[in-house]
Amino acid sequence: MKYRPNEAPVFVIDQSRCIGCEACVQGCMECGTHRGQSLIHLERIDRATTTQTAPMVCMHCEDPTCAQVCPADAIKQDEGGIVHSALKPRCIGCSNCVIACPFGVPRFMAELDQMMKCDMCIDRTSEGLKPMCASVCPSEALWYGTREEFADNRRGELIREFRFGRQDVRTLVYTVVDDLAPGPLDVLRGFERSWLEDPFDLEGGAHDAGLGFS
Amino acid sequence: MSRIPISEEELISRYGPHLNEEPPGGWDGGIVPDRVVQTHCCFCGQQCGIKLKVKDNEVIGFEPWYEFPFNEGKLCPKGVKRYLQGSHPDRLMHPLERDSTSPSGFRQISWDDALNRVASEVRRIQEEHGPDAFAMLSGVSLTNEKSYLVGKFARLALGTANLDYNGRFCMVSAGAGNKKALGVDRAPNPWSDIPLADVVWVAGSNIAETFPITTSYIWKARDRGARLIVQDPRVVPLARTADLFLPVRPGSDSALFGAVLHQLIRNDWLDHEFIDNHTVDFDQAAAAVADMTPAWAASITGVAAARIEEAAELWGTSATGMLLHARGIEQQSKGVDNVLAAINLGLATGKFGKPGCGVSTITGQGNGQGGREQGHKCDQLPGNRDISNPEHREHVAGVWGCDESEIPGKGLSAEEIIEAIHEGSIKGLLSICFNPLVSAPDSNFTKEALDKLEFYSVIDFFLSESAQHADMVLPGSLHEEDEGTATSGEGRIIKINAATEPPGEARLDWEILVDLAERLDRGQYFPFQSSKEIFEELRLASAGGTADYRGVTWERVEAEMGLFWPVPEEGHPGTPRLFEGGKFYHPDGKARFHPIPFRESAEVVDDEYPIWLTTGRVVSQYLSGTQTRRIGALVRQYPEPLCEMHPQLAAQLGVSDGDLITVTSRRGDMVLPAQVVATIRPDTVFIPFHWPGRKAVNQLTNRALDPISRMPEFKVSAVRIDRVDDSQRAGESSEPRPA
Amino acid sequence: MVNLGKSGLDRRALAWGGVGVVLTLALTFLGSDGLRWFDSALIGYLFGLVFAVFAITYRYSVWLRRPPTAMLNRRGWDSFRERPSRNLLSLPALIGSHLLVQGFIRKRSTSRWLAHQFVFWGCILAGLITIPLTMGWLHFQSVGQQADRYQVYFSRVGTVSFDAASIVGWLAFHALDVAAVLVLIGVFIFLRRRLSDPGALAVERSGDFLALAGLFAVSVTGLFLTISSTLLEGQFYPALNTLHALTVILGLMYLPFGKLFHIFQRPANLGVAYYKQVNLDGPQAECRRCGEPFCGIQQVTDVQLVLEQVGFDYSSEDGDNYQNTCPGCRRRQVALAQSLRVGGFG
Ligand code: SF4
Ligand code: SF4
Ligand code: SF4
Repeated sequence: MKYRPNEAPVFVIDQSRCIGCEACVQGCMECGTHRGQSLIHLERIDRATTTQTAPMVCMHCEDPTCAQVCPADAIKQDEGGIVHSALKPRCIGCSNCVIACPFGVPRFMAELDQMMKCDMCIDRTSEGLKPMCASVCPSEALWYGTREEFADNRRGELIREFRFGRQDVRTLVYTVVDDLAPGPLDVLRGFERSWLEDPFDLEGGAHDAGLGFS
Repeated sequence: MSRIPISEEELISRYGPHLNEEPPGGWDGGIVPDRVVQTHCCFCGQQCGIKLKVKDNEVIGFEPWYEFPFNEGKLCPKGVKRYLQGSHPDRLMHPLERDSTSPSGFRQISWDDALNRVASEVRRIQEEHGPDAFAMLSGVSLTNEKSYLVGKFARLALGTANLDYNGRFCMVSAGAGNKKALGVDRAPNPWSDIPLADVVWVAGSNIAETFPITTSYIWKARDRGARLIVQDPRVVPLARTADLFLPVRPGSDSALFGAVLHQLIRNDWLDHEFIDNHTVDFDQAAAAVADMTPAWAASITGVAAARIEEAAELWGTSATGMLLHARGIEQQSKGVDNVLAAINLGLATGKFGKPGCGVSTITGQGNGQGGREQGHKCDQLPGNRDISNPEHREHVAGVWGCDESEIPGKGLSAEEIIEAIHEGSIKGLLSICFNPLVSAPDSNFTKEALDKLEFYSVIDFFLSESAQHADMVLPGSLHEEDEGTATSGEGRIIKINAATEPPGEARLDWEILVDLAERLDRGQYFPFQSSKEIFEELRLASAGGTADYRGVTWERVEAEMGLFWPVPEEGHPGTPRLFEGGKFYHPDGKARFHPIPFRESAEVVDDEYPIWLTTGRVVSQYLSGTQTRRIGALVRQYPEPLCEMHPQLAAQLGVSDGDLITVTSRRGDMVLPAQVVATIRPDTVFIPFHWPGRKAVNQLTNRALDPISRMPEFKVSAVRIDRVDDSQRAGESSEPRPA
Repeated sequence: MVNLGKSGLDRRALAWGGVGVVLTLALTFLGSDGLRWFDSALIGYLFGLVFAVFAITYRYSVWLRRPPTAMLNRRGWDSFRERPSRNLLSLPALIGSHLLVQGFIRKRSTSRWLAHQFVFWGCILAGLITIPLTMGWLHFQSVGQQADRYQVYFSRVGTVSFDAASIVGWLAFHALDVAAVLVLIGVFIFLRRRLSDPGALAVERSGDFLALAGLFAVSVTGLFLTISSTLLEGQFYPALNTLHALTVILGLMYLPFGKLFHIFQRPANLGVAYYKQVNLDGPQAECRRCGEPFCGIQQVTDVQLVLEQVGFDYSSEDGDNYQNTCPGCRRRQVALAQSLRVGGFG
């Protein structure tokens, strides 16, 4: 199953669906362009209170912050808008990109003394195949396909504008929102909120198993 | 006495688990495969399609198989890394005979000597103690062909009644419940029905970690607007986003289902037409729940009455709905009750035999569905036939070309076999793909039992913890080394293709059994030259049974990417959805309601053991871990068991996150770190079960069996927890070490 | 936004390029003893060299003035000066590991490292010989009347002498052949890797192949010269000579633009090493969200400044700066913000 270029498939990240299985992390390690190195990120939001987890791939910013702060001019964007890993001969391993990227994407590989980052599996996508993480993701938190396919199968709107304080960033990768309020995803406005307030009804006093819970 | 020949540490240093980290040739090797083989993942009942890349008889990687309709390329981490079980340093390559004078505990011997010794031990034990004193335990990592062969081998070559399989610890409660209520043991729906449901109710199944791909089916339903109910003592990852969460106390599921049925009746959210025309015994079931009010159930389950009422309303008023259940409600001493109570909810609202409607188990093990129907279950013959039914016996004897009387009767179930070994009535054991030392409850007891065996032979590809006790180890084949069929949790028969050949002297499992049958002088019943020939016989043996494979051919299975049984004749399209038109598999075509009064688990908490313990899996490990504890990337994802507990409980016990604690039950104790999380009921702790020895939670679990399914009660026991003082910290560890 | 690298010609850089050219010519004049030892047959090479010097200097100074590069350049030297003696002491080891042995490439892949080492040492050897030769600094003279004894002259100073037939003699006259063979071995390993590894192929840029092709052409035509003079009694020599000169000159002209420019950027890696050490030893920035230290305060502040210089504004109304949050918490915050906006699922 391959996409043709004129179908213009897009990458969609919907962190809210992630089940934390790490298939993406394991799959990323199998990618042709960086075998043995997993470049995708997977965060636990706060395991003490929730099972919520969150993947992060490179969002492929239209004006990549990472490239702009790179002293070695090692981070390049191709015609398709994909922002590549640092050019190996150039990258001098300073980590400026790691510090600057608003999505926390580049990884400094200490052993290799250079930065590597998600390149949307350029070896696969350039041939019309889905990236590895979006191929395997069981929850479709990471998804790749045409906008029509998305509209046919999934709820929610695709947006790709993000706001970080005063800075707006537009990306190649989309995310999903389900509200009617237009406008960018305001990252500083996010806060912890559980779908399930008080899942065990501890306020309501449903537990009384002789252990003194109330 | 089948005791381990040398110390466990020495055995581990020779036979692992060691960790395989890299594909053959390393990460840096060229990755151009010679060929790419379409096959399936072996690590759960969903049987995801996957392509394996092969080079020089080694699997060097994988590629998603986008065209396979069930998973469309999706895989969980086990599927991604499954290829690393091949080319493994721990792989058994030669027949091994126990030899405590050898530094490795075993010595290599020839296949001839090995098989002759097994045959002579079988003869000796059976002559001295009777045919049933030699038992066989099998596993559903095997293909249908091998499962069928094991069933025939045990009955005709060993001539023992005592054959059972590891699905006894997995799917039997669901199977028994389905047979009783619906007349057939199969998931009623293809998974493509899930997205059509208006309400999806997941009971006792941590789908995100145990059936990850099903997550996408549930989201497809939710994208259409379906509501999601999750019933679990923990806020498992899927529960995090659920519309309604029912945090049941372990062992109380049937009370909750009873109260829901009570509500359905009270509000008349019933499908009377369906009940009248397609079911029997509704009144009895209704009578049993007459007093099961939501308030009553709340006091038993710990779920607020309002939530129970809401669940009943969602289920009762939705036009379509699927209730998916798994080991959470099934691995109990009343697992069958729980399943029947769930089915009652489907029958009462007419949610069977229609798109988007069904009450379905989610089969756990790789070939759990196919394996059990084709004959290595102690009470069944191929085609889901009943071994006690004379007609069924006649049919199978006809296919096998033996006299009906030559087929032994119903034997002991897996846990009962272990008990019989312990008590001394079973003296010899042949096992394949089964690691009871890790997977059976009360592992101290299991160990005592294995130690008592006079002769124990194991067919396996790695030296599992149980195999360490063996007198004779026969190196068998990996999933990717043999071809055949398997039947996924949906009832879809799929084709497993061989990617490589067994390395060294290892052999295909079925060849080993055929060869052994020869040496037991029963070769005439085992003329098989290929796996396919076994399948051709299986078709005939299953014909006319409920699990009818007569019309199935390997070619069709491959071309159509799966066929749903029953397929009674060639050209038949298969049967993705069962019970269409309200036709059930009982002789009268009607489903059975069952009255399910509530009863407590075999063990309940008390002053001495005040905390509920429940067990389960993590996404990166499979079953007893024989395979997955040998794959580096998977081990690192969750290296060793942690005990999940709520901060309230932790505070009472004076335990902080990461502290070592001792968890003690009436059967044993274990020391492990606490993981303090607000995502579990405060009166319950959870420990995953994939580890052996002192890290095995099955040291604590209860051998109490379900009276019908003989399923042990893995999911409910009572424990006590103490903090380990720093001075007591045990440094013991049986960590796998890098290869 | 500063439009990097697309801003027409840069006056200051032009001037620096000019200085480079003048310097090269002056050194050639002086070193060749007033052109006495300058070999006019090598005039084409000198032209290539001068062009390369100009363009490299130009590009280097443009590069050095990009805000992040300028910042790093300044910080690298600052860091070095902070503990001059210690840093001076560690310099040889750093040069050895970072610039010469290149162990970091080996961590990535042994074959790639091997290939790079071959090409690297081959080029160094070739450069050490040809550049002084071209600039007339180096020449050979026969000693007295002995037709087969030679002395190496550095400008007007005579140094070692050797027997043409000796091993040393052979090496002296074939050093460039040795260099060519080294380079070719490296090029072949590189090519084999690239062609057999679909992943490597996918991230391949046409420039990478061009660089390999250039190295190949220079080495092969050079070797042909030797073959012609030693085996073919000078057949085709003039034509081959022109061909070789052409490849070398083109190579020199390509040097400032292509992939090989990294040779000149790479030494900045040393500055980075010192800068990182300073930031490791110095005070750490603590994440605004989780409170964990994630980087030296100095570098975080520097990056924030650079961001401003290149036209980003990651400040927020409360006066904070987004880059004060650690990368992990940034990822978490994006996820939380997104989850909030699919609240409809819950
Ligand atoms: S997400 Fe980060 S790494 Fe990716 S392009 Fe944007 S700034 Fe660069
Ligand atoms: S594969 Fe998908 S669900 Fe699993 S961790 Fe990655 S993003 Fe989450
Ligand atoms: S373990 Fe199950 S879900 Fe995971 S890849 Fe294998 S079959 Fe699919």
